[in-house]
Amino acid sequence: MSTTWLPCGEYHQSYKEDHAWFQTTFIKGKMILLGLILFIFIPRFADSYWLSVCNQIGYTVLGALGVQLLIGFCGQITLGHAAFVAVGAYTSTLLILEFPWPRFILDIGLAYPISILIAAVVAGLWSVIFGLPSARVKGFYLILTTMAAQFITVDFIITQYISQIGGRGQAFSLPPGTIKIGPWIIDSDLKVYYMMLVLTILCITALANLLRSRAGRAWVAIRDNDISAEVMGINIIKYKLLAFFVAGFIGGIAGAFWISNLAAISPEHFQWFWSLWLVGVILIGGVGSIHGAIFGSVFMVVVLELLQLAVIPLADEYPKLLMDFLFIKEATFGLAICAFMIFEPNGLAYRWWQVKNYFNLWPFSY
Amino acid sequence: MQPDDSTGIPSDSGNDITPELTIPKLFVRKARKYGKKRVAMREKEFGIWRPITWQQYYDNVKSLALGLIALGLEEGDKVSMIGDNRPQGLWGEMATLCARGIGVWLFQDCLIDEVKYIIDHSDTKFIFGEGQEEVDKALSIYDECPKLKKIIWDDPKGMRHYHQDCLISLKEVQELGRALEKEKPHLFDEMIEKGRGDEVALLFYTSGTTALPKGALLSHHNMLTMGKHLMDVDPCKETDDYVSYLPFAWIGEQMMSISCGLQIGYTLNFPEEPETAQENIREIGPHVMFAPPRMYEQMTRTVQVKYLDATWTKRKFYELSTKIGYHIADLKFSKKPIPWYWKVLQGFAYLTVQKKLKDHLGLSRVRNAYTGGAAMGPDHFRFFHALGVNLKQIYGQTEVAGISVVHRNDDIKFDTVGRPIPGTEIKITEEGEIITRSPSVFLGYYKNPEATKDTLRDGWLYSGDKGFIDDDGHLVVFDRTKDVFILKDGRPFAPQYLETRLKFSPYIKDSWVIGDKRDYISAVMCIDYSVVGKWADEKKLNYTSYQELSQMPEVYDLVEHQIRQANKDLPDVAKVRRFTNLYKELDPDDDELTRTRKLRRAFVEKRYQEIVNALYSDRDAVHIDTVIKYEDGRQSHIKTDLKIVTIKD
Repeated sequence: MSTTWLPCGEYHQSYKEDHAWFQTTFIKGKMILLGLILFIFIPRFADSYWLSVCNQIGYTVLGALGVQLLIGFCGQITLGHAAFVAVGAYTSTLLILEFPWPRFILDIGLAYPISILIAAVVAGLWSVIFGLPSARVKGFYLILTTMAAQFITVDFIITQYISQIGGRGQAFSLPPGTIKIGPWIIDSDLKVYYMMLVLTILCITALANLLRSRAGRAWVAIRDNDISAEVMGINIIKYKLLAFFVAGFIGGIAGAFWISNLAAISPEHFQWFWSLWLVGVILIGGVGSIHGAIFGSVFMVVVLELLQLAVIPLADEYPKLLMDFLFIKEATFGLAICAFMIFEPNGLAYRWWQVKNYFNLWPFSY
Repeated sequence: MQPDDSTGIPSDSGNDITPELTIPKLFVRKARKYGKKRVAMREKEFGIWRPITWQQYYDNVKSLALGLIALGLEEGDKVSMIGDNRPQGLWGEMATLCARGIGVWLFQDCLIDEVKYIIDHSDTKFIFGEGQEEVDKALSIYDECPKLKKIIWDDPKGMRHYHQDCLISLKEVQELGRALEKEKPHLFDEMIEKGRGDEVALLFYTSGTTALPKGALLSHHNMLTMGKHLMDVDPCKETDDYVSYLPFAWIGEQMMSISCGLQIGYTLNFPEEPETAQENIREIGPHVMFAPPRMYEQMTRTVQVKYLDATWTKRKFYELSTKIGYHIADLKFSKKPIPWYWKVLQGFAYLTVQKKLKDHLGLSRVRNAYTGGAAMGPDHFRFFHALGVNLKQIYGQTEVAGISVVHRNDDIKFDTVGRPIPGTEIKITEEGEIITRSPSVFLGYYKNPEATKDTLRDGWLYSGDKGFIDDDGHLVVFDRTKDVFILKDGRPFAPQYLETRLKFSPYIKDSWVIGDKRDYISAVMCIDYSVVGKWADEKKLNYTSYQELSQMPEVYDLVEHQIRQANKDLPDVAKVRRFTNLYKELDPDDDELTRTRKLRRAFVEKRYQEIVNALYSDRDAVHIDTVIKYEDGRQSHIKTDLKIVTIKD
């Protein structure tokens, strides 16, 4: 059965219709409106600062999607997702800086797009390696193995070895003009914004499609009860690893995308706190829903920006606030998670569902 | 469409009903016209509405009809159908008609005695049962009905260990049919061509509030003229959707699915299960609906109960829009123009509440909703008009193949049933009995010439209902002649009227009003178990059964309050003075109601003699010691005291 709330007189004669995305004119209208806002309204009216906030949101969404897939849909708790984002970012950077691209590819500006794809695949495979323990271990033990992924990848391999390539020391800097898609050089927040939109929509579409396929149903079955999933004939190791691959793949895209926004990349961008942050995002947004990853990202990024705006006027009186902003940020993160766990344990996505239900059930309550 | 020489059927110019036209001829004509292009019916299965095109419908009926002939069906043989509303049931009926047999439908929930009576009385040769349950019923009477040859089933669930010779599956019958088709490829068309409109099509057993069911013989012509005349009043479109969920053994469903459905060619939709019907109706959102009042009463009750449970804001919006709705409805009933500011308010009510409310009830797309088969209370009727649903009363009976009187758009009065449909004459005899003459009047009762003589006199159908025609030419149906009360002051009084008013309360499921030639009126009430139960839960009242709940003093207060509401605008002699809550709901399985849920007054009066006596004495309780029958046939002994309450002014 379709989970969409259908108005009276809308019914399905085939399973294809039953699983279609935009089933009613109301939903189609809503999506068109959303498209207009994203593609026309925001680029037109947002200044560079708010565009960069939007880009931050997009990056968080891309990162959180993978975490949502692993935790929310497949039940594999991960605390090392930043590692795969890092693998994507570094793969893409290295390919751009070091790979001897044939001239014509550079001329038509395909180096960066190709590097995104390769980065995604490499990150996916890297994720599968650290997903292997999930065949044997569950719960707390899996959390530890994924944390190991973080420390081995970022703190050991990337910091100690990868960063030394080319003898640049800690950071890779990307010279202006190297990030180029076709004829467009990505050199402004607006261009990054458009790229972010396209990539985010592609990834969400792909993930949503996977979730309504056999793979998606297998993941949910594994999450709900891995033993009964296995009894039903699902090869749980295969599907768990597939989940790790897809999560790493999207994480790789996130990393490769993010270098367009950074002048220089260094391991500090992919610390363990970022992995934890992404888990916080889906907890606040709602576990087990794509909406949740989006809502959580918007909420976390916007709240922090507002916090920053609130702190700046106070800085004259209390300069310590500005100096210790990092701690305020982390304290807010902790507070938000606590508050959500107590007051809205199902996250913002559930609240959204309730709001929709309120009007769908109008004028009744059930 | 080109004239079709193979069947000799005239081209499809409108729906002219010639004496030659039969239901199968019309069916073949429509199937040829629509073919694979249009969906004839849908059935909800495994979550989706599976379409069946006219071509598939035709193919199935054809092989089934030929299969029946291969099994030995001859002209005029009776074939019975029993089961839920499913495409296969309708195929069975259509195949019977195509094979020149006569169709008989049984109610799905008929008890075994009723099944036996009808099968035996109708000389049924074949019986279409849906699955194991129906097959069991048929098998248990097989030996007692010598004329019954074969039992046809189609749902294989639970049928694995049934190997009796008299059983055959629908698929096997169709195989036989296809084999016969190879032998005689023109047989099907020839048979359809042979049919004439005045031949008997269906044998319909009327529910009868008084005696054993009588079999009414309806011809093809009866059925088709009936449908045409209704469609003349309220035309339907071929793109319409109709949900078929009421028993086919009820003439109203035959009228909508066959008489009208076949002529218009709209799509019939069959629900997944009888239990999901309400939900499925909401999904389809039919354009036309015909249901007995109890369906609408149930909808009203759902709305009332859900309203009570809604949050404050939602309740206020609901209250406001209902007030507006009632005002507009009353203006319409009195045929006054609606001032522009009320139209604005109406728009507000529509946007804020009514649109969504109709959506919840599955009435969003309804053009015409009909109710008939029993009396509907004015409160319910106004409720739907206040919602903006074009609800119409109709009046008819099995003996006129459906209906004879209906409301017209913009000429709706909630205390009448409207004006006769084209081709129908209605008169009132000197005794006040309603009589009808039309091409749809039936041929007579099967094997019952006496009853036929009583009912059919000089082409007029004597209905046994009392009524009159008002100044606007609308028919007002009072009640069954034998049910009309004479009050203390000599005035006639229709108990139905009071009963339907009492039923407007969501807490009351059924009521039975007594008071013919008595000093005052009293009532026996049946509470609605789920609604009152929920109410009691909220009040933290403990109960374990219907019986216990019904006898709680708080529940008596609740019911008394509802009766006082209904008493309000009645003259003193017509007010309910004493009442009691019955320890059980009235049930067709106990013969207290007919299968269409009409109260069998004479029967209940006899059965609950003690209660009636107590109501007309000065006692304040009555002791009951009785046996009740459950649906699965178990019996249980009941001993209880029923409280009797006197309502003081």
